[in-house]
Amino acid sequence: MTSQQSTTAVRKSGAKNLRNAAGGRGSRFGPWPVVVLCLLIAAFSLLPLGFVVVATANAGWDTIATLVFRPRVGELLFNTLSLVLITVPLCVLIGVGGAWLVERTSLAGNKAWAVLLAAPLAIPAFVNSYAWVSAIPSLGGIFGGVLISVLSYFPLVYIPVAAVLSRLDPALEQSAAALGLGPWRVFFRVVLPQLRLATAGGALLVSLHLLAEYGAFAMIAFDTFTTAIYDQFRSTFNGAAANMLASVLVLFCLLLLLAESKTRGSARYARVGAGVQSGPTRLRLGAYQLPGQLALIAVAVLALGVPLWHVGRWLIAGGAEVWMRNDLLTSLLRTLDYGLIGAAVTTVLAFPLAYLVIRHPGPVSTFLEAVNYISSSMPGIVVALALVTITVHNVPAIYQSSLVLVAAYALLFMPRALVNLRAGLAQVPRELDEAARALGKPPLVAFLRVTLRLAAPAAAGGAALVFLGIVNELTATLLLAPNGTRTLATQFWLLSSEIDYMGAAPYALLMILLSAPMTYLLFVQSKKAAGQ
Amino acid sequence: MTTQPHDIRQGSRHSAVLRPAGPSSRTFVHDSSDAPDHLEITDVRKRYGGTEVLKGVDLSVAQGRTTAIVGPSGSGKTTLLRLIAGFSAPDAGRIALGGAEVAGPEKWVPAHKRSVGYVAQDGALFPHLSVGANIAFGLPLRGKAAARRVGELLEMVSMDASYAKRRPHQLSGGQQQRVALARALARQPELMLLDEPFSALDAGLRVATRRAVSKTLEQAGVTTILVTHDQAEALSFADQVAVMRDGKLAQIGSPFVVYTRPADRATAEFLGDAVILEAWLEGSLALCSLGGIPVRMPKVQGKVNLMLRPEQIRISSGSSIRGRVVDTDYFGPETTVRIQLEPILVDAEHPRDPHQPVGGEVINIRHWNAMLARPGTELFLKVVGEGVVFPWQG
Repeated sequence: MTSQQSTTAVRKSGAKNLRNAAGGRGSRFGPWPVVVLCLLIAAFSLLPLGFVVVATANAGWDTIATLVFRPRVGELLFNTLSLVLITVPLCVLIGVGGAWLVERTSLAGNKAWAVLLAAPLAIPAFVNSYAWVSAIPSLGGIFGGVLISVLSYFPLVYIPVAAVLSRLDPALEQSAAALGLGPWRVFFRVVLPQLRLATAGGALLVSLHLLAEYGAFAMIAFDTFTTAIYDQFRSTFNGAAANMLASVLVLFCLLLLLAESKTRGSARYARVGAGVQSGPTRLRLGAYQLPGQLALIAVAVLALGVPLWHVGRWLIAGGAEVWMRNDLLTSLLRTLDYGLIGAAVTTVLAFPLAYLVIRHPGPVSTFLEAVNYISSSMPGIVVALALVTITVHNVPAIYQSSLVLVAAYALLFMPRALVNLRAGLAQVPRELDEAARALGKPPLVAFLRVTLRLAAPAAAGGAALVFLGIVNELTATLLLAPNGTRTLATQFWLLSSEIDYMGAAPYALLMILLSAPMTYLLFVQSKKAAGQ
Repeated sequence: MTTQPHDIRQGSRHSAVLRPAGPSSRTFVHDSSDAPDHLEITDVRKRYGGTEVLKGVDLSVAQGRTTAIVGPSGSGKTTLLRLIAGFSAPDAGRIALGGAEVAGPEKWVPAHKRSVGYVAQDGALFPHLSVGANIAFGLPLRGKAAARRVGELLEMVSMDASYAKRRPHQLSGGQQQRVALARALARQPELMLLDEPFSALDAGLRVATRRAVSKTLEQAGVTTILVTHDQAEALSFADQVAVMRDGKLAQIGSPFVVYTRPADRATAEFLGDAVILEAWLEGSLALCSLGGIPVRMPKVQGKVNLMLRPEQIRISSGSSIRGRVVDTDYFGPETTVRIQLEPILVDAEHPRDPHQPVGGEVINIRHWNAMLARPGTELFLKVVGEGVVFPWQG
């Protein structure tokens, strides 16, 4: 039933893409009000990058030289680079290995493992850090940084790779087997190369998270560019020093994007046939069943068991008293407030972009895609720094207002909304809209009753992911929130900084509980997205 | 030994469409004595990016008639249909519907203000609405009145009223197309546009759905334009066939005319199997390896290419034209026979000349009797009807 519906919705050919290139009267780029709106949104999303570029240009070479070429920056560079170079391969190893065990071998309990390996994403990295510091108070340095990062971020590789593995056409593997390759050689020569895109995409996400993360590393006193920028800004409000560090950080992010797009090269996802395909072939583990299970148990214990155990331990130790504090309810409500408003604003802003990209491919939409790709890599600290500086200097009236915080959320999480909206809109063939118009509905009515209605589930999915991001956002919220504002994340941060681990535990639990359904949604969506 | 070559396509053509009998009565082109032109397209051009997709198209469609626009993919036929529907605007030229201009240099009427029905390739049923709600989408009616009209429309496309409650994905491909047609008919459009509505269906379902749609549209008396890349579909469905190639209409005419008297060699080969022979034309007689073949009103003389349809070539013992069977392909009801012809007969009046055609081609014909055509067998051949000549291409 589902497959039939998807064939009616998805069937597309090259000839139709050509037709999609233009609609309406002489509108090569799309309806002009939408184009103007999109360009404004794009300009808005380029604010952080623009800020960094302008700040660097204004600083002058001497200032740059004194602020950038110093031992402190060398130390940060070393820390950040080693963090990325050690963490990313480990995440790829666990992510790809886990995905392969779950999707392609006779692993016992593979359905449960599939969910368990995605679940650590529901535990914010700084909550993970808090749990590990509770377990090993002396944790710190590069070892601590890598440990927490790997356990928090390997699902970012696991989820897309598992999705591709479960949808990969088994005919490819069967053909390889027919050409005389054994199961292991089939995996290395046929399956693994197909995972390149998903792995590279996941690795990019892990790297960007590593560059942007503040809370998890600050908690174990491991210095990276992001923690240094935050400290610099908080201690001295010294614009120039923080801005120069931010420039170096942004440079890193852009280099990562470049590296990832080089890895992608001309590779394409294997085309998954429209017809029903047989399930994936599973390799019999035999004697390897036990080591496989033990490895996954170790990962699950470290990534899920330890944080949940320590959050639980502090909750029990705190008893009912920690739940009675007034701040808990106000922070929860405030978090929900920001989450819902931010998700709504972000989705609304992303909609015209997604619409233009899907319905009017052309120079404008290509430009918008590029802008989105670049701005998606901007760390929260850079976004916050840019908005603080711009509002202080140019619009002091809105400095430290909720408006600016929501704007920061929109900048940070627009890519999440956009990815979902694009997928959703792509599922609504242009023919449906046209059919409605041929039935006498004006374009706007046709759009509302058909396209918008059908894209609504995707928009809701995107909004949910933005909500999840906002709930767990710490860096920008700390720097931009109006004075006295308490969210779950900031309050958790405040209490754990004061070593009130018992008081922080309810906040940790609430954040995990709010994140869990969204993580599941993300997991389910990734499986669907890989099939289409 | 006299046998009738049997062409399946022709057989289905006669049974598929209700039309005045006899080929001669179907030779209408721009003769608007009985019905006024409903759709008038004048020198329409359209460009996408750097490619000119339509390079000046002129087409008239008479009231209540069925026109098929047929052409290979990329020829611009779907673009033309979308211009007629009002989904996009032409760069130049005019389109008039029922005498009123809907697209021109100063005027453009969008799709929802034109009285056109549109059925897309895959039906484009709204997946979030039931069959009934899909059909009622364009109706101004609500409640009981709408339900009654939906029932009537379902009946028009030979579907039970109980289908109204179903969801589009619960229907077969053919049913989806019929619902799409019912939805398009709901507002009683003056003009129905069909964009390859049968091409996504299986072979068996395609013929049945095509017949049902054709019958429904005929009963409703709607002017219809069908876009297709399938020549058999075009020939069987329409009163008028417009052959499109490279953004231009290569030929417009009745199915019989475009099939038997194609305007050029590419059209001839696109519309069906063609036997192309070297020939020497003098007056209205073409001399080729199959003897002297009459040609109607030739525009060229001398060395030419002569086109015959395979079914015009019959096996007949009373003939002096000989050919030897090279090999055969068995298809069940019929067999394709490859025959090596003898070179063109040279007599005193036509001395062999290096500029003259040589002949002796290998041709394909079809025959029902597989036993008759063993390789090496010598056959006597006869040509029925006229040939068509094209300027010499070698």
